[in-house]
Amino acid sequence: MTTENPVFACRDVNVHYGDKHAIKHVDIDVGRSEVLAMIGPSGCGKSTFLRCLNRMNDTIESARVTGSIMLDGQDIHDRKQDVVQLRARVGMVFQKPNPFPKSIYENVAYGPRIHGLAADRGELDEIVNTSLRRAGLWEEVKDRLNQPGTSLSGGQQQRLCIARTIAVNPDVILMDEPCSALDPIATARIEDLIDELRESYAICIVTHSMQQAARVSQRTAYFHLGDLIEVGETKKIFTNPQAKLTEDYITGRFG
Amino acid sequence: MSPSIVLVLIVALAVLAFQIGKARSIAVAGGPRHTRSLHSLPGHYGLLTAFWCVLPALAVFGVWVGFQDSVLTRLVLSNMPAEQQSLPADQLGLLLNDLRNVVAGNVPASMVSDPVRQAASDFLRLQHVAHLSLAGVALGIGVVALLWARRRIRPELRARNEYERMIEWALFACSAVAVLTTLGIVLSIVFEAGRFFGTVPITDFLFGTNWSPQTAIRADQVGSSGAFGAVPLFVGTLLISLVAMVVAVPLGLFSAIYLAEYAAPRLRRVVKPLLEVLAGVPTVVYGFFAVTTVGPMLRTVGEALGLSVAGESALAAGLVMGIMIIPFVSSLADDMITAVPQSLRDGAYALGATRSETVRQVVLRAALPGIVGGILLAVSRAIGETMIVVMAAGLAANLTLNPLEAVTTVTVQIVTLLVGDQEFDSPKTLAAFALGLMLFLVTLLLNVIALYVVRKYREQYE
Ligand SMILES: Nc1ncnc2c1ncn2[C@@H]1O[C@H](COP(=O)(O)OP(=O)(O)OP(=O)(O)O)[C@@H](O)[C@H]1O
Ligand SMILES: [Mg+2]
Repeated sequence: MTTENPVFACRDVNVHYGDKHAIKHVDIDVGRSEVLAMIGPSGCGKSTFLRCLNRMNDTIESARVTGSIMLDGQDIHDRKQDVVQLRARVGMVFQKPNPFPKSIYENVAYGPRIHGLAADRGELDEIVNTSLRRAGLWEEVKDRLNQPGTSLSGGQQQRLCIARTIAVNPDVILMDEPCSALDPIATARIEDLIDELRESYAICIVTHSMQQAARVSQRTAYFHLGDLIEVGETKKIFTNPQAKLTEDYITGRFG
Repeated sequence: MSPSIVLVLIVALAVLAFQIGKARSIAVAGGPRHTRSLHSLPGHYGLLTAFWCVLPALAVFGVWVGFQDSVLTRLVLSNMPAEQQSLPADQLGLLLNDLRNVVAGNVPASMVSDPVRQAASDFLRLQHVAHLSLAGVALGIGVVALLWARRRIRPELRARNEYERMIEWALFACSAVAVLTTLGIVLSIVFEAGRFFGTVPITDFLFGTNWSPQTAIRADQVGSSGAFGAVPLFVGTLLISLVAMVVAVPLGLFSAIYLAEYAAPRLRRVVKPLLEVLAGVPTVVYGFFAVTTVGPMLRTVGEALGLSVAGESALAAGLVMGIMIIPFVSSLADDMITAVPQSLRDGAYALGATRSETVRQVVLRAALPGIVGGILLAVSRAIGETMIVVMAAGLAANLTLNPLEAVTTVTVQIVTLLVGDQEFDSPKTLAAFALGLMLFLVTLLLNVIALYVVRKYREQYE
């Protein structure tokens, strides 16, 4: 399924882990200012596919990615494409909050520092400030910026990780089950946040919660055993899925 | 019948007891097909019986062997002529020494005085009797205990639970032995050091800068009265440890980083054990290497540079000690680095950090407490290391910070103070205990801090 002027355009993407064919011939687009949800039974390759988009699979020795993935018309596997810059443009939030063993301030300042985004301390303060605000964490941490990031609660840590990601001002944010370690209230906050962030960033989110996919996403993709079964408007996928497999999954008959 | 044969017999009795207990339990159950009516397996009854049988026998054996010699000596002594019994304490000690030597066969009986020879043959005769009665008493008690334990066997006897409790007690006893022995050693060091500080003021020892422990052996001898200022030794020890750490920390840490973060898994599988093998090289071999290779080499290099390097220098000893410690540092640091969760690395990579940025700013940062702990452990190794410094650092108690000169360390001085014939209560000998106490306190402190830091760090990622 194609989108007009997509951020990401993926064609015939395959991933092998050694002999295992984990992603099979996937064609998918990610539009601007949209939240794309990826759902599917465990082990179907959602994380694997997500990790293709910022080339995190490079860090896995056995992984081999083929096919074309265009970010704004540029192949991310191109020789000219620097993976450092790619990851600055495509941020990622993980399933388990993973703040660095640094202060809250330094956690957020880390990305801007390594990419040289701030000319002086004042600018850096500004970036940290706005990132924490946008992640909805500012009010809770403004008096304790020098405390370690690990001293926050799980939900706060996850928002800190989101703040850390948006501090480098990416175009796309990838989220791999960002709420699966959180309680319902922290989850609701993150979902609200995703909704706000959508205005400025394209977001791909992997989730096991159908309700969450329905709440936050505009489009939903259903994966099954490495195949992309169908992708379309979230409303349509949940009310009127085209494929039998999708229907079975969302009605809870499978997975 | 010698005590070791008695011991063998006790073991044999235990095997017998096991069989008897097992058979008895099967019998009370009503035959091998009915053992399910027993609370525990027949083997448990056997083990329990063996335990109960051996325990009292062994206790008797231990007490008997422990006290036999002193009791016999006293008996023999009381049979000696009054002339010998009324000897002053030190001469009596000599006499007893002779007696023991004759009994042990170290000295032929023809070389000692008549009363001693007589006493020795008395002693041997009594010893023979004592051994026979030991065999009788120990085995007799064992058999009585065996019969008692056998009578206890009923189907509802909880042999398994009792046996478990006995295992627990046996293990406890073993660890108690280890702990008590250590405690005993520490106490004796403290006690002897206390005696030393009775003759040499502790402030002289801790702050004095002159170390020359030669004291007059005889009262009428002219010569030095001995100076026990340990500062030169402390400084020497620190200097050598410092050189060692300057070598070991960067090399060990960087090789750990390479192995943990950069090396291909196959390479890592080969290199890591190799590096750990280095830790198994006996230190005397390193010392050898320091004396024959590193020392002369430094000398040549020094001459070329117009520096005077002593034949035995702190630098040579420190360099080699540093090499010895590398595997220690690297293996601990490697453990700490691999314990950093992958998710932290992923987080940094996902922000666009390069590998070295990730390692430097995230991984090392996270592993730092553990690495520091490892380094502290290595320092305490360096401070306590003896062989290399004995061979390569020299004996001169120079108070200097120049690593090109010969210095001496606490461990070296302990060795030299105690080597050769010594009077055991001269300040010179006792000084070794004071030094040992210092060494013990410092390394203990370092280890406690290091273990605390490492444990705290481990908890963080569990
Ligand atoms: N590093 C790896 N090496 C080898 N195989 C892998 C690796 N990571 C994932 N796989 C395999 O690839 C397939 C897809 O895994 P992936 O983690 O992408 O699934 P997922 O859809 O994210 O599952 P979940 O919902 O449980 O997170 C699985 O069969 C998995 O076993
Ligand atoms: Mg996953």
